Amino acid sequence: MTNTALKWAGWFLLCVVLQSTLVPQLAVMSVKPDLLLIALFYFSVKMGMMPGAFVGFFLGLGQDLFSPELLGQNALAKSLTGFALGLFNERVVRLDPIMRGALLVAAFILNDTAIMLVHLIKAGGGGGAGTIITEIFVVTLPRALYSLVFAAIPFVWINVVKPPRLVD
Amino acid sequence: MRWIIDLIVRHRNICSLLLTVALSVAMIIAQPSTQASIVRYLSMTIFYPAYAVVSQVSSFTGVYSENKRLRQELAELSTQIQVLRDQSAENMRLRGLVGFSEHTLYTLTPVRVVARDPSYFYKSVLVSGGASQGVGMYMPIVGEHGAVGKVSQVMGNMSMIQLLRDPSSRASVMVNRSRAVGILQTDNARDFFVRLRSHEDAQAGDTIVTSGLGGIYPKGLTVGVVEKIDDKSNLLFKRAYIDFSVDFDKLEELFVMRLPPQWAAQRAELDSVKMEK
Repeated sequence: MTNTALKWAGWFLLCVVLQSTLVPQLAVMSVKPDLLLIALFYFSVKMGMMPGAFVGFFLGLGQDLFSPELLGQNALAKSLTGFALGLFNERVVRLDPIMRGALLVAAFILNDTAIMLVHLIKAGGGGGAGTIITEIFVVTLPRALYSLVFAAIPFVWINVVKPPRLVD
Repeated sequence: MRWIIDLIVRHRNICSLLLTVALSVAMIIAQPSTQASIVRYLSMTIFYPAYAVVSQVSSFTGVYSENKRLRQELAELSTQIQVLRDQSAENMRLRGLVGFSEHTLYTLTPVRVVARDPSYFYKSVLVSGGASQGVGMYMPIVGEHGAVGKVSQVMGNMSMIQLLRDPSSRASVMVNRSRAVGILQTDNARDFFVRLRSHEDAQAGDTIVTSGLGGIYPKGLTVGVVEKIDDKSNLLFKRAYIDFSVDFDKLEELFVMRLPPQWAAQRAELDSVKMEK
Protein backbone atom coordinates (compact mmCIF):
# COMPACT_ATOMS: atom_id res chain seq x y z
CA MET A 1 0.00 0.00 0.00
CA THR A 2 2.74 2.42 1.05
CA ASN A 3 4.87 1.34 -1.90
CA THR A 4 2.00 2.01 -4.32
CA ALA A 5 1.34 5.42 -2.79
CA LEU A 6 5.03 6.36 -2.99
CA LYS A 7 5.25 5.11 -6.57
CA TRP A 8 2.28 7.24 -7.63
CA ALA A 9 3.58 10.25 -5.68
CA GLY A 10 6.86 9.88 -7.58
CA TRP A 11 5.07 9.74 -10.91
CA PHE A 12 3.00 12.83 -10.09
CA LEU A 13 6.09 14.73 -8.94
CA LEU A 14 7.88 13.76 -12.14
CA CYS A 15 4.92 14.95 -14.22
CA VAL A 16 4.79 18.29 -12.38
CA VAL A 17 8.50 18.81 -12.92
CA LEU A 18 8.39 17.83 -16.60
CA GLN A 19 5.29 19.96 -17.16
CA SER A 20 7.10 23.00 -15.76
CA THR A 21 10.48 22.40 -17.37
CA LEU A 22 10.45 20.19 -20.47
CA VAL A 23 6.91 20.48 -21.83
CA PRO A 24 7.14 24.21 -22.77
CA GLN A 25 9.98 23.21 -25.16
CA LEU A 26 7.66 20.69 -26.83
CA ALA A 27 4.98 23.24 -27.71
CA VAL A 28 3.79 23.05 -31.31
CA MET A 29 2.03 26.28 -32.31
CA SER A 30 1.49 27.01 -28.60
CA VAL A 31 -0.20 23.61 -28.11
CA LYS A 32 1.34 21.78 -25.19
CA PRO A 33 0.57 18.33 -23.79
CA ASP A 34 -0.84 18.18 -20.26
CA LEU A 35 1.11 15.53 -18.38
CA LEU A 36 -0.75 16.17 -15.13
CA LEU A 37 -4.06 15.28 -16.71
CA ILE A 38 -2.52 12.19 -18.32
CA ALA A 39 -1.18 11.09 -14.91
CA LEU A 40 -4.56 11.78 -13.32
CA PHE A 41 -6.21 9.73 -16.07
CA TYR A 42 -4.05 6.65 -15.40
CA PHE A 43 -4.38 7.06 -11.64
CA SER A 44 -8.17 7.45 -11.59
CA VAL A 45 -8.80 4.61 -14.02
CA LYS A 46 -6.58 2.40 -11.87
CA MET A 47 -7.71 3.52 -8.41
CA GLY A 48 -11.32 4.64 -8.74
CA MET A 49 -13.51 7.60 -7.89
CA MET A 50 -12.51 8.61 -4.36
CA PRO A 51 -8.72 8.58 -4.88
CA GLY A 52 -9.29 10.22 -8.29
CA ALA A 53 -11.25 13.08 -6.74
CA PHE A 54 -8.72 13.70 -3.96
CA VAL A 55 -5.62 13.45 -6.14
CA GLY A 56 -7.29 15.62 -8.79
CA PHE A 57 -8.06 18.18 -6.10
CA PHE A 58 -4.46 18.37 -4.91
CA LEU A 59 -3.01 18.44 -8.43
CA GLY A 60 -5.38 21.26 -9.34
CA LEU A 61 -4.55 23.08 -6.14
CA GLY A 62 -0.88 22.88 -7.06
CA GLN A 63 -1.66 24.54 -10.38
CA ASP A 64 -3.85 27.17 -8.70
CA LEU A 65 -0.96 28.33 -6.53
CA PHE A 66 0.47 30.04 -9.60
CA SER A 67 -2.62 32.25 -9.90
CA PRO A 68 -3.74 33.28 -6.40
CA GLU A 69 -6.73 35.26 -7.68
CA LEU A 70 -8.04 32.16 -9.48
CA LEU A 71 -7.57 29.83 -6.52
CA GLY A 72 -9.87 26.81 -6.58
CA GLN A 73 -10.66 26.68 -10.32
CA ASN A 74 -8.18 24.00 -11.29
CA ALA A 75 -8.81 22.17 -8.00
CA LEU A 76 -12.52 22.01 -8.81
CA ALA A 77 -11.98 21.01 -12.45
CA LYS A 78 -9.42 18.34 -11.70
CA SER A 79 -11.36 16.83 -8.78
CA LEU A 80 -14.45 16.56 -11.02
CA THR A 81 -12.32 15.06 -13.79
CA GLY A 82 -10.61 12.62 -11.42
CA PHE A 83 -13.96 11.52 -10.04
CA ALA A 84 -15.50 11.11 -13.50
CA LEU A 85 -12.51 9.09 -14.72
CA GLY A 86 -12.80 6.92 -11.61
CA LEU A 87 -16.23 5.81 -12.84
CA PHE A 88 -14.30 3.87 -15.51
CA ASN A 89 -12.19 2.04 -12.96
CA GLU A 90 -10.52 -0.86 -14.76
CA ARG A 91 -11.67 -3.24 -12.04
CA VAL A 92 -15.24 -2.49 -13.11
CA VAL A 93 -15.06 -1.51 -16.79
CA ARG A 94 -12.86 -3.14 -19.41
CA LEU A 95 -11.35 -0.46 -21.65
CA ASP A 96 -9.77 -1.12 -25.04
CA PRO A 97 -7.12 1.33 -26.36
CA ILE A 98 -9.63 3.29 -28.47
CA MET A 99 -11.97 3.70 -25.51
CA ARG A 100 -9.06 4.88 -23.41
CA GLY A 101 -8.15 7.47 -26.01
CA ALA A 102 -11.73 8.70 -26.23
CA LEU A 103 -11.94 8.83 -22.45
CA LEU A 104 -8.78 10.91 -22.22
CA VAL A 105 -10.14 13.40 -24.78
CA ALA A 106 -13.41 13.54 -22.81
CA ALA A 107 -11.41 14.20 -19.64
CA PHE A 108 -9.71 17.17 -21.30
CA ILE A 109 -13.07 18.54 -22.42
CA LEU A 110 -14.59 18.13 -18.94
CA ASN A 111 -11.57 19.72 -17.27
CA ASP A 112 -11.44 22.74 -19.56
CA THR A 113 -15.22 23.21 -19.60
CA ALA A 114 -15.29 23.30 -15.80
CA ILE A 115 -12.49 25.88 -15.71
CA MET A 116 -14.13 28.04 -18.35
CA LEU A 117 -17.55 27.82 -16.67
CA VAL A 118 -16.13 29.01 -13.36
CA HIS A 119 -14.21 31.72 -15.15
CA LEU A 120 -17.31 32.90 -16.99
CA ILE A 121 -19.45 32.83 -13.85
CA LYS A 122 -16.84 34.78 -11.89
CA ALA A 123 -16.29 37.28 -14.69
CA GLY A 124 -20.05 37.63 -15.21
CA GLY A 125 -19.43 37.80 -18.95
CA GLY A 126 -21.86 36.80 -21.65
CA GLY A 127 -21.56 34.45 -24.61
CA GLY A 128 -21.05 31.44 -22.32
CA ALA A 129 -21.90 28.38 -24.43
CA GLY A 130 -20.49 29.87 -27.65
CA THR A 131 -17.21 30.82 -25.97
CA ILE A 132 -16.85 27.40 -24.38
CA ILE A 133 -17.54 25.51 -27.61
CA THR A 134 -15.09 27.69 -29.53
CA GLU A 135 -12.43 27.20 -26.88
CA ILE A 136 -12.98 23.44 -26.91
CA PHE A 137 -12.39 23.28 -30.66
CA VAL A 138 -9.53 25.79 -30.76
CA VAL A 139 -7.67 24.97 -27.55
CA THR A 140 -8.86 21.81 -25.84
CA LEU A 141 -9.07 19.35 -28.73
CA PRO A 142 -5.62 20.11 -30.19
CA ARG A 143 -4.17 19.86 -26.67
CA ALA A 144 -6.00 16.59 -26.01
CA LEU A 145 -4.88 15.07 -29.31
CA TYR A 146 -1.28 16.11 -28.76
CA SER A 147 -1.46 14.70 -25.23
CA LEU A 148 -2.72 11.38 -26.61
CA VAL A 149 0.72 10.84 -28.13
CA PHE A 150 2.30 11.15 -24.70
CA ALA A 151 -0.43 9.12 -23.03
CA ALA A 152 0.33 6.27 -25.41
CA ILE A 153 3.90 5.95 -24.08
CA PRO A 154 3.00 4.47 -20.65
CA PHE A 155 0.26 2.40 -22.31
CA VAL A 156 2.76 0.83 -24.74
CA TRP A 157 5.26 0.38 -21.92
CA ILE A 158 2.77 -1.41 -19.69
CA ASN A 159 1.10 -3.57 -22.33
CA VAL A 160 3.81 -4.23 -24.93
CA VAL A 161 7.26 -3.73 -23.42
CA LYS A 162 6.43 -5.07 -19.97
CA PRO A 163 3.16 -7.00 -20.31
CA PRO A 164 1.61 -8.24 -17.05
CA ARG A 165 2.44 -11.86 -16.26
CA LEU A 166 -0.54 -14.16 -16.44
CA VAL A 167 -1.34 -16.10 -13.30
CA ASP A 168 -1.87 -19.84 -13.87
CA MET B 1 -22.86 10.13 15.63
CA ARG B 2 -22.09 6.60 14.52
CA TRP B 3 -24.75 6.64 11.84
CA ILE B 4 -23.10 9.69 10.28
CA ILE B 5 -19.80 7.84 10.04
CA ASP B 6 -21.58 4.79 8.62
CA LEU B 7 -23.33 6.98 6.07
CA ILE B 8 -20.04 8.60 5.03
CA VAL B 9 -18.30 5.24 4.73
CA ARG B 10 -21.16 3.78 2.71
CA HIS B 11 -21.24 6.74 0.32
CA ARG B 12 -17.54 7.54 0.47
CA ASN B 13 -17.22 8.17 -3.26
CA ILE B 14 -19.92 10.82 -3.35
CA CYS B 15 -18.72 12.26 -0.05
CA SER B 16 -15.18 12.61 -1.40
CA LEU B 17 -16.49 14.45 -4.45
CA LEU B 18 -18.69 16.72 -2.33
CA LEU B 19 -15.81 17.48 0.00
CA THR B 20 -13.37 18.39 -2.77
CA VAL B 21 -15.99 20.41 -4.64
CA ALA B 22 -16.98 22.24 -1.45
CA LEU B 23 -13.35 23.06 -0.66
CA SER B 24 -12.76 24.25 -4.22
CA VAL B 25 -15.88 26.43 -4.25
CA ALA B 26 -14.96 27.86 -0.85
CA MET B 27 -11.58 28.86 -2.24
CA ILE B 28 -13.12 30.30 -5.41
CA ILE B 29 -15.57 32.54 -3.53
CA ALA B 30 -13.17 33.49 -0.73
CA GLN B 31 -12.06 37.09 -0.30
CA PRO B 32 -8.88 37.95 -2.22
CA SER B 33 -6.99 38.48 1.05
CA THR B 34 -8.04 35.02 2.27
CA GLN B 35 -7.04 33.50 -1.07
CA ALA B 36 -3.66 35.18 -0.87
CA SER B 37 -3.02 33.87 2.65
CA ILE B 38 -4.04 30.32 1.62
CA VAL B 39 -1.69 30.48 -1.35
CA ARG B 40 1.13 31.89 0.74
CA TYR B 41 0.76 29.16 3.37
CA LEU B 42 0.57 26.30 0.87
CA SER B 43 3.37 27.72 -1.26
CA MET B 44 5.79 28.13 1.59
CA THR B 45 5.11 24.78 3.21
CA ILE B 46 4.40 22.21 0.53
CA PHE B 47 4.90 23.01 -3.11
CA TYR B 48 7.74 25.43 -3.79
CA PRO B 49 10.54 23.75 -1.82
CA ALA B 50 10.10 20.71 -4.08
CA TYR B 51 9.92 22.88 -7.19
CA ALA B 52 13.02 24.83 -6.21
CA VAL B 53 15.16 21.75 -5.54
CA VAL B 54 14.25 20.09 -8.82
CA SER B 55 14.62 23.26 -10.87
CA GLN B 56 18.09 23.85 -9.43
CA VAL B 57 19.11 20.41 -10.67
CA SER B 58 17.53 20.90 -14.09
CA SER B 59 19.13 24.35 -14.46
CA PHE B 60 22.58 22.69 -14.74
CA THR B 61 21.66 21.08 -18.04
CA GLY B 62 22.75 23.13 -21.01
CA VAL B 63 25.17 25.28 -19.02
CA TYR B 64 27.91 24.92 -21.63
CA SER B 65 25.80 26.03 -24.61
CA GLU B 66 24.27 28.80 -22.53
CA ASN B 67 27.73 30.01 -21.54
CA LYS B 68 28.82 30.07 -25.17
CA ARG B 69 25.71 32.03 -26.18
CA LEU B 70 26.15 34.48 -23.32
CA ARG B 71 29.80 35.11 -24.25
CA GLN B 72 28.75 35.96 -27.77
CA GLU B 73 26.00 38.24 -26.50
CA LEU B 74 28.44 39.87 -24.11
CA ALA B 75 30.78 40.71 -26.96
CA GLU B 76 27.94 42.18 -29.01
CA LEU B 77 26.52 44.12 -26.10
CA SER B 78 29.89 45.56 -25.10
CA THR B 79 30.19 47.26 -28.45
CA GLN B 80 26.59 48.43 -28.28
CA ILE B 81 27.13 49.83 -24.80
CA GLN B 82 30.03 51.95 -26.04
CA VAL B 83 27.85 53.42 -28.77
CA LEU B 84 24.99 53.99 -26.33
CA ARG B 85 27.29 55.69 -23.81
CA ASP B 86 28.26 58.23 -26.42
CA GLN B 87 24.61 58.75 -27.36
CA SER B 88 23.59 58.98 -23.70
CA ALA B 89 26.20 61.67 -23.05
CA GLU B 90 24.97 63.56 -26.07
CA ASN B 91 21.36 63.10 -24.94
CA MET B 92 22.14 64.46 -21.47
CA ARG B 93 23.84 67.50 -22.94
CA LEU B 94 20.84 68.17 -25.17
CA ARG B 95 18.33 67.60 -22.33
CA GLY B 96 20.28 70.08 -20.25
CA LEU B 97 20.06 72.60 -23.08
CA VAL B 98 16.24 72.38 -23.27
CA GLY B 99 15.79 72.21 -19.48
CA PHE B 100 14.58 68.60 -19.13
CA SER B 101 15.48 66.66 -15.99
CA GLU B 102 17.87 63.74 -16.33
CA HIS B 103 16.61 60.19 -16.80
CA THR B 104 16.97 57.97 -13.80
CA LEU B 105 18.80 54.73 -14.56
CA TYR B 106 16.96 51.73 -13.18
CA THR B 107 18.69 49.20 -10.98
CA LEU B 108 18.18 45.70 -12.32
CA THR B 109 18.33 42.58 -10.19
CA PRO B 110 18.88 39.39 -12.21
CA VAL B 111 16.61 36.47 -11.35
CA ARG B 112 16.23 32.99 -12.79
CA VAL B 113 12.94 31.28 -13.59
CA VAL B 114 12.68 28.22 -11.33
CA ALA B 115 9.15 27.07 -12.18
CA ARG B 116 6.48 27.82 -14.70
CA ASP B 117 2.75 27.75 -14.28
CA PRO B 118 1.79 24.24 -15.44
CA SER B 119 -1.76 25.22 -16.32
CA TYR B 120 -2.78 26.26 -19.81
CA PHE B 121 -5.03 29.19 -19.10
CA TYR B 122 -3.23 31.33 -16.56
CA LYS B 123 0.28 32.54 -16.79
CA SER B 124 2.79 33.16 -14.07
CA VAL B 125 6.29 32.04 -13.17
CA LEU B 126 8.28 31.60 -10.00
CA VAL B 127 11.72 33.24 -9.91
CA SER B 128 14.73 32.83 -7.66
CA GLY B 129 14.79 36.25 -6.05
CA GLY B 130 12.73 37.56 -3.17
CA ALA B 131 12.61 40.08 -0.35
CA SER B 132 16.19 39.18 0.65
CA GLN B 133 17.44 40.39 -2.73
CA GLY B 134 15.39 43.58 -2.52
CA VAL B 135 12.50 42.44 -4.70
CA GLY B 136 9.24 44.14 -3.77
CA MET B 137 5.59 43.85 -4.71
CA TYR B 138 4.54 45.25 -8.12
CA MET B 139 8.11 45.78 -9.32
CA PRO B 140 8.23 45.43 -13.13
CA ILE B 141 10.07 42.49 -14.70
CA VAL B 142 11.90 42.75 -18.00
CA GLY B 143 13.69 40.33 -20.27
CA GLU B 144 16.15 40.92 -23.07
CA HIS B 145 13.30 41.63 -25.51
CA GLY B 146 11.08 43.83 -23.33
CA ALA B 147 8.47 43.87 -20.58
CA VAL B 148 7.57 40.49 -19.11
CA GLY B 149 5.27 41.19 -16.15
CA LYS B 150 5.21 42.34 -12.56
CA VAL B 151 5.90 40.87 -9.13
CA SER B 152 2.64 39.60 -7.67
CA GLN B 153 3.90 37.84 -4.57
CA VAL B 154 7.15 38.10 -2.64
CA MET B 155 8.65 35.47 -0.35
CA GLY B 156 12.05 35.32 1.32
CA ASN B 157 14.12 34.08 -1.60
CA MET B 158 11.47 33.62 -4.29
CA SER B 159 8.86 35.71 -6.02
CA MET B 160 5.83 35.06 -8.16
CA ILE B 161 5.70 36.96 -11.42
CA GLN B 162 2.38 37.73 -13.04
CA LEU B 163 3.09 37.75 -16.76
CA LEU B 164 1.66 40.31 -19.16
CA ARG B 165 -0.01 37.32 -20.83
CA ASP B 166 -2.08 36.62 -17.71
CA PRO B 167 -5.71 37.49 -18.60
CA SER B 168 -6.20 39.23 -15.26
CA SER B 169 -3.15 41.43 -15.83
CA ARG B 170 -3.83 44.93 -17.11
CA ALA B 171 -1.08 47.14 -18.43
CA SER B 172 -1.32 50.62 -19.88
CA VAL B 173 0.45 50.66 -23.24
CA MET B 174 0.77 52.94 -26.21
CA VAL B 175 1.60 52.86 -29.88
CA ASN B 176 5.19 54.08 -30.07
CA ARG B 177 4.75 55.91 -33.36
CA SER B 178 1.43 57.72 -32.79
CA ARG B 179 1.51 57.77 -28.93
CA ALA B 180 -2.10 56.48 -28.83
CA VAL B 181 -2.70 55.01 -25.37
CA GLY B 182 -4.81 51.97 -24.44
CA ILE B 183 -5.05 49.02 -22.08
CA LEU B 184 -3.67 45.61 -22.95
CA GLN B 185 -6.65 43.21 -22.92
CA THR B 186 -7.79 39.79 -24.01
CA ASP B 187 -11.08 37.98 -24.48
CA ASN B 188 -9.76 34.44 -24.57
CA ALA B 189 -6.34 34.41 -22.87
CA ARG B 190 -4.74 33.80 -26.27
CA ASP B 191 -5.21 36.86 -28.49
CA PHE B 192 -4.18 40.12 -26.86
CA PHE B 193 -5.18 43.53 -28.15
CA VAL B 194 -5.10 47.21 -27.31
CA ARG B 195 -8.46 48.93 -27.49
CA LEU B 196 -8.05 52.30 -29.19
CA ARG B 197 -10.52 54.95 -30.22
CA SER B 198 -11.44 54.54 -33.87
CA HIS B 199 -9.78 57.80 -34.97
CA GLU B 200 -6.45 56.98 -33.32
CA ASP B 201 -3.59 56.03 -35.55
CA ALA B 202 -2.26 52.47 -35.41
CA GLN B 203 -1.25 50.08 -38.13
CA ALA B 204 0.27 46.65 -38.50
CA GLY B 205 3.96 46.68 -37.70
CA ASP B 206 3.76 49.49 -35.13
CA THR B 207 5.68 48.87 -31.93
CA ILE B 208 3.68 48.80 -28.69
CA VAL B 209 5.45 50.08 -25.58
CA THR B 210 4.42 50.68 -21.99
CA SER B 211 2.90 54.12 -21.47
CA GLY B 212 4.07 54.69 -17.90
CA LEU B 213 0.51 55.62 -16.90
CA GLY B 214 -0.41 52.60 -14.80
CA GLY B 215 2.10 53.44 -12.11
CA ILE B 216 3.89 50.10 -12.33
CA TYR B 217 5.72 49.85 -15.67
CA PRO B 218 7.99 52.75 -16.61
CA LYS B 219 7.42 54.42 -19.95
CA GLY B 220 8.93 52.92 -23.08
CA LEU B 221 9.40 49.22 -22.34
CA THR B 222 8.77 47.19 -25.50
CA VAL B 223 5.66 45.02 -25.27
CA GLY B 224 5.17 43.82 -28.82
CA VAL B 225 4.28 44.64 -32.38
CA VAL B 226 0.84 45.29 -33.88
CA GLU B 227 -0.11 42.21 -35.87
CA LYS B 228 -3.45 43.36 -37.29
CA ILE B 229 -6.14 45.96 -36.77
CA ASP B 230 -9.80 45.09 -36.27
CA ASP B 231 -11.94 48.18 -36.85
CA LYS B 232 -15.02 46.41 -38.22
CA SER B 233 -16.69 45.11 -35.05
CA ASN B 234 -17.16 48.46 -33.29
CA LEU B 235 -17.75 51.97 -34.62
CA LEU B 236 -16.23 53.80 -31.67
CA PHE B 237 -13.26 51.60 -30.92
CA LYS B 238 -10.81 49.48 -32.82
CA ARG B 239 -8.61 46.69 -31.66
CA ALA B 240 -4.88 46.49 -32.38
CA TYR B 241 -3.97 42.84 -31.93
CA ILE B 242 -0.40 42.44 -30.80
CA ASP B 243 2.34 39.88 -31.09
CA PHE B 244 4.40 39.92 -27.88
CA SER B 245 8.10 40.60 -28.29
CA VAL B 246 8.86 38.22 -25.43
CA ASP B 247 8.45 34.47 -25.93
CA PHE B 248 6.66 33.63 -22.69
CA ASP B 249 7.16 29.90 -23.21
CA LYS B 250 10.93 30.24 -23.10
CA LEU B 251 11.63 32.53 -20.17
CA GLU B 252 14.87 31.77 -18.36
CA GLU B 253 16.81 34.79 -17.10
CA LEU B 254 14.83 37.89 -16.17
CA PHE B 255 15.53 41.19 -14.46
CA VAL B 256 13.58 42.86 -11.69
CA MET B 257 13.50 46.63 -12.09
CA ARG B 258 14.02 47.96 -8.58
CA LEU B 259 11.30 50.50 -9.10
CA PRO B 260 8.50 50.70 -6.55
CA PRO B 261 5.08 51.61 -8.02
CA GLN B 262 4.59 55.33 -8.52
CA TRP B 263 1.58 55.30 -6.25
CA ALA B 264 3.61 53.82 -3.36
CA ALA B 265 4.55 57.29 -2.11
CA GLN B 266 0.93 58.50 -2.10
CA ARG B 267 -0.17 55.30 -0.41
CA ALA B 268 2.48 55.67 2.30
CA GLU B 269 1.32 59.24 2.86
CA LEU B 270 -2.31 58.12 3.12
CA ASP B 271 -1.31 55.39 5.57
CA SER B 272 0.54 57.90 7.71
CA VAL B 273 -2.53 60.19 7.74
CA LYS B 274 -4.68 57.28 8.88
CA MET B 275 -2.15 56.44 11.61
CA GLU B 276 -2.21 60.05 12.85
CA LYS B 277 -6.02 60.02 13.03
